[in-house]
Amino acid sequence: MKKLFNAYRVLALLVGVLLAFCALVAMPLKYLATEGSDLQRFGESASILWVAHGWVFMIYVVVAFFLSRKARWTPGFTIVALAAGLIPLLIFWVEHKVTQRLRAEHPELVTAG
Amino acid sequence: MLAPRYWGVHLLALVLTAAAVGLGVWQYDAWQSRRAAEAQDLTRVDPVQLDSVIGPDEPFPGNKVGQPVVLSGTWVPDSTVFVSGREHDGREGYWVVTPLAISGPHDPAVPVVRGWVAEPGQAPRAPTGHGELVGWLQPTEGNGEVDSNPRDDVLPQLRTADVIQHVDQDLYGAYVVVADRAAPGNWPVGDAATNDGTSGLVHADLQQLPDVGQFTAVRNLLYAIEWWFFACFALFVWGRWIRDETVGSQEATTETQATSTEGAAGEPAGTAVDGQ
Repeated sequence: MKKLFNAYRVLALLVGVLLAFCALVAMPLKYLATEGSDLQRFGESASILWVAHGWVFMIYVVVAFFLSRKARWTPGFTIVALAAGLIPLLIFWVEHKVTQRLRAEHPELVTAG
Repeated sequence: MLAPRYWGVHLLALVLTAAAVGLGVWQYDAWQSRRAAEAQDLTRVDPVQLDSVIGPDEPFPGNKVGQPVVLSGTWVPDSTVFVSGREHDGREGYWVVTPLAISGPHDPAVPVVRGWVAEPGQAPRAPTGHGELVGWLQPTEGNGEVDSNPRDDVLPQLRTADVIQHVDQDLYGAYVVVADRAAPGNWPVGDAATNDGTSGLVHADLQQLPDVGQFTAVRNLLYAIEWWFFACFALFVWGRWIRDETVGSQEATTETQATSTEGAAGEPAGTAVDGQ
């Protein structure tokens, strides 16, 4: 079961980094930087990463869902864990929280076996 | 599973699925319309001289469909033909086609679609003398349809082998549709064209638009797939929840289940596992 947990952590990190970059770097540059400037154009072409975020988020949602059932999270926590991929920076905290919870409540999911 | 206390969950699942499917369709439509718009844009690139794209004996350059070209030559009014089965605003009519010899009267000619009429009899007289215009380059047609009456001036399609019966010179392996607009610049288009033969005719629509790049608007397509994936995922979660709920209620006969209110609060995910 360690595989699922590891996959979750990697995906959470990826989603988090992509979302933070798209929402906090690429988007402000695209819309706030001077029209036609190098920065603005960089922001515009970097916006293609939204697609990457969407697809990684897709996998993240599935993995997180399976993990939530294995670990028997409450519906509330499950929703937070799934939606965290859509709110910038929230996922880093959630990932930390998930790791803590799993270590405490389900050590068998975290260690090999 | 059909008890009223479950209705909220079922409704939520259906709404989420329908929303995801709808958003996917919206993105898919956006993908298609952006590609169509891009194809239109390509017909507004800077025109180039005809001889820089195709010569009289050269095959059609496949990547130049819809390319605006500048033509200058002599009209061959006696070789005017009508191409049947052309629609304009939902009405069926004819294209009026007159070859333009590049550039002396006996040089190889390019069939020029001057415009559209409902009936061949309504077409104005073909232009004579020198003409200079911008046209969109199109490959000649060939759908195997046979000219039912080779003696009249009406053709079923703009095929070189059919048009050649009506001219005394060679033909280019392409035809053009007279452009009514072009990229900004000093081009012989619209009023600036010399004797382009379009007066009295309805402008003809382009038959073949340029190919747009494979990756044009690909983002919208990827988003569409994503949304449809989420629709499937919502259905999957719903199905899992129903299964767990059914199994759970069989096992826990005395236990009162409060799952319906829990489930209605949001994602029905994982609500039933508590009961197992």
